[in-house]
Amino acid sequence: MSRLVAELPAPTTQNPVRAGRRRRSRQELLAYKILLPALGTVVVIVTIPFILAVVQSIQADDGTWVGLQNYARALSNPGFYDALRATGLYAVIVLPAEIVLGLGFALLVHRTVQSPGLRATLYILAVVPLVVPPVAVGVVARLIYAPGYGVLNVILERLGIIHQEIEWLSVPALAMFSVASVDIWQWTPFVYLVLFAGLQTVPKESVEAAQVDGATWWTQFVYIELHYLRPLFLLILFFRAADILRVFDHIFILTGGGPGTTTQLLSLYLYRVEFRFFQTGQGSALAVVVLVSISLLYTLVTRLLPLERT
Amino acid sequence: MPAPTQPSPRGGRKKLAIGARLALAVVGLAAAAIVYAFPLYWLIVTSLKSKAELFASTIHLLPHNPTFEPYVSVLIDRGFWVLLKNSVIVCASTVVITIALGLLITYPITRLPVPVGLRVGVLNWALSLRFLPPVAVVIPYFAIVRTLQIYDQPIALIGIYSLFNLPFAIWMLKGFLAEIPLELEDAALVDGANRWTAFRRVLLPLAAPGLLAAATIVFTFAWSEFLFALILTATPNAQTFPVGVQGLVTQFEIIWNDMAASGVIAMTIPLILMVVARKYMVAGLTFGVIRDK
Amino acid sequence: MQRISRREFVKRTAVTGAAFTSLPAILAACGTSTTSNKPSSLTIAAVQGAEDGPLKKIAPIYKSQTGITLNIDEFPYPDLYSKLVTTFQANGSSYDLCMMDDPWMPKFGTMGALQPLDSNFGFTRDSDIPAVVYDVGTWPPPSGPVPPSEQGKTKHLYGITIVGNVEMFMYRKDIASAPPASWDDVLANAKQYNKSNFYGYVIRGLATNPASSDSLPILWSFGGNVFDDNWKVMLDSTESIDAITFLTSRLKAYAEPGAASTDAADRDRLIAIGQAFQSTTWPAEVTGVVEATGSTVIGKMGYIPIPQGPSGKGIGMMGNWLLGIPKGSKNGSAAADFVKWLITPANMRTYVQNGGIPTRTSLLNDATLASTNPYFPALAKSLASPPNWRPRTDQWNAVETAYGTAVNQAVAGLKSPKDALTAAAATVRTLMQQAGYPS
Repeated sequence: MSRLVAELPAPTTQNPVRAGRRRRSRQELLAYKILLPALGTVVVIVTIPFILAVVQSIQADDGTWVGLQNYARALSNPGFYDALRATGLYAVIVLPAEIVLGLGFALLVHRTVQSPGLRATLYILAVVPLVVPPVAVGVVARLIYAPGYGVLNVILERLGIIHQEIEWLSVPALAMFSVASVDIWQWTPFVYLVLFAGLQTVPKESVEAAQVDGATWWTQFVYIELHYLRPLFLLILFFRAADILRVFDHIFILTGGGPGTTTQLLSLYLYRVEFRFFQTGQGSALAVVVLVSISLLYTLVTRLLPLERT
Repeated sequence: MPAPTQPSPRGGRKKLAIGARLALAVVGLAAAAIVYAFPLYWLIVTSLKSKAELFASTIHLLPHNPTFEPYVSVLIDRGFWVLLKNSVIVCASTVVITIALGLLITYPITRLPVPVGLRVGVLNWALSLRFLPPVAVVIPYFAIVRTLQIYDQPIALIGIYSLFNLPFAIWMLKGFLAEIPLELEDAALVDGANRWTAFRRVLLPLAAPGLLAAATIVFTFAWSEFLFALILTATPNAQTFPVGVQGLVTQFEIIWNDMAASGVIAMTIPLILMVVARKYMVAGLTFGVIRDK
Repeated sequence: MQRISRREFVKRTAVTGAAFTSLPAILAACGTSTTSNKPSSLTIAAVQGAEDGPLKKIAPIYKSQTGITLNIDEFPYPDLYSKLVTTFQANGSSYDLCMMDDPWMPKFGTMGALQPLDSNFGFTRDSDIPAVVYDVGTWPPPSGPVPPSEQGKTKHLYGITIVGNVEMFMYRKDIASAPPASWDDVLANAKQYNKSNFYGYVIRGLATNPASSDSLPILWSFGGNVFDDNWKVMLDSTESIDAITFLTSRLKAYAEPGAASTDAADRDRLIAIGQAFQSTTWPAEVTGVVEATGSTVIGKMGYIPIPQGPSGKGIGMMGNWLLGIPKGSKNGSAAADFVKWLITPANMRTYVQNGGIPTRTSLLNDATLASTNPYFPALAKSLASPPNWRPRTDQWNAVETAYGTAVNQAVAGLKSPKDALTAAAATVRTLMQQAGYPS
């Protein structure tokens, strides 16, 4: 990620020599004057809840200080590990699917669709899933997957593919597939849009030169386009991974975490502990654990993730 | 269709391969289009069904007596137009604040000589904000909102939405601001303008597409937000539309047509914005990390 | 969450004191004569669905009689609970009245979130209303185990029932020759009438609250229970396991597909379109879907109290919706006046005629009302039996989640009833011990 950022141009000044160092440090001071109040406010607003969460996590629900008891209870609750497992499974299904599908379609459209009208239509189609609020997506998903009135079963039956209702939301594997499919439906277009935009910036001369040299689709992709898309890939991976840790709305509406707890991802589990059981101490402890783990993971990844080319 | 320029004995076979690929591409795109369009089709179709049709023993793929009644029911009978109004107010305000804050943070680090470490650090930190699961912080924010006595007030949502959309805004703005050559601003400065004027007269017009793109995305994300809206509001004074949509998924009533209608209404405004801002979105979505020089 | 009074939008802030103190002044300036502290509107936090429909319908009547507008903010069932708890924790004044499902009483009672209706507003017991209805709104509970932290507190009435819900049983009386007297009869009927596209029994098996509500009457009728009178967990007793095995294996054979994700609306739909034979039911489902316009089975359903289990008794489950007055409300006496108004025999009759579910025995046994509300006699019998209520603990939500998840897993076939209940029992024991109960 530091490599990503280093691709920015270093600001240069073209001051006359006589202004020299004094002018630059004045500019720098100006930078701080603008940046720090805004940044400072944001940092404070972001850190206060963390501190509050920590404070609440070492109190019992009625306010007495109990040390690490909430942490012990929260971490020994099997529900927490079920939630982690469900979230991991969800991520493993959703991330590769979205990236592969998004990339595939971006390449497909980039290579084979030239008419601006068609590209515009595809853009609009791709944008729609992004603007539908996740709650609405959950509603549609219910209308498609629900037992009895779900239209997917109706269609499959009419096509003669199945003869008995498929229980999309009652069988654990299918339930996970159902909620994952909703995520894929909603976010693959995002991947598509970003990568497609990235493909537009690949210089045509390089591509044409490669084709003159007899490059196939595959080699063209690997040696030219991938180079330009690599930083975008990382960015997409980061954004989607972050979103998966926060995913809540459509699962809440579609399965509520069921059957059993098979689709109770981390956010849903936290929500249940905080807002159904009102075990605020344990909820805060969980929140702190999640926040700290994510911070550590993020720091680790941004340090270690190298870009192979300089 | 890319065609090799040199004649070759393999030309015929290559043309066939390209033709086959094209056919495959068309089939693939068509299939994808159907898979993507169907949920939307179903949403719209369901939103036009009358209540009586919901009791039919078979599901109809086309509404038998299409009616706009669900829309009337949602907006007027259930009073959701208030929620819609709240959503618009909250999201528009969020956009203004987020862009302003985003500019305040992005401008210095892209156009003023700050140490590289600071620039990298700020950008990395901004990205890390996105990893914050709202559920993990919603209780502390609830406590803060309560203490500040802004519970069930739009301002609480505006503040939080601005916070959570800042990372995206920062990254998009950074992309656009970094593209604009510093020389343009410096020229204005040398001519005697102060930095604020240079910013307003030179930079803003050039960055306008980026600002519009960022504004559209921020609006869209704020529009869809649900969890904080659910927790931090209590009455239609501040509740936003997604809260209303979720509220229709009740346990005892069969109101799928109203549910669908609310979904359609929910997606209309951001969709219009996204389509209008198309030109800028394509540029904005590369986040400025692609440099074609 | 949805305003039903269409013209009035009163701005609310968390600090509503200023607004309300200026109202009498404004009213006085308008020349209307007001008694001191009479507000122009009351806000009710209500549950969305058939239960608050009648409330919305009589709001205009109340307004024409008293000039007070009722603002009814609706929330779906689970959200209402969260909303109320968070409001009470903030001692907020957003709501003057709140609808509460009776299992929430322990939490609110333990929190001290409600104003006592008997000592503050002079409510007394009316003999026409079954005693169990007053008991369910009393904290600490007058019967059954009392949470350790609440023992010794004075009993007060905190909520008055406005929806006299008791879980009952419904079946197609145009198909069956006689009402099922026991659960074995239910099973026999299910087997007999089950055919393609017509399910012998509908299981409401969605995880947590739905599965729990659907199965508790069966659990009790078989002699099982969640807790005994000393808070000892009984979920893994033989009777409890038998009950859940009966539901999730034997009855399931004749149940609809997707039972593990079926909720009440789905069940009602199946019955209403004539694709199912029998199931448990709440009165609100009857008024909302089964006997409502659009249903194809109007007049064809028979309603009876919960059939008997091997224990010899059929035990219904109370699910009363009560109206309570939050401590933070600034309009306590006006709110209490409304509740008193609502439960007078005449007004309750009007309420019933607008789809409401009464608690007065006189109304339930009234012949004219029974013709339009075919389940009234069964409801009267159920209330008289008396029915059980859900365990009176402020931890009920977590307990219900563990129990309801176990039933759901059994319905879905993920675990055997024995394994699911044993695991749930262990979870509940840990939970109760951590909360200070002698489990």
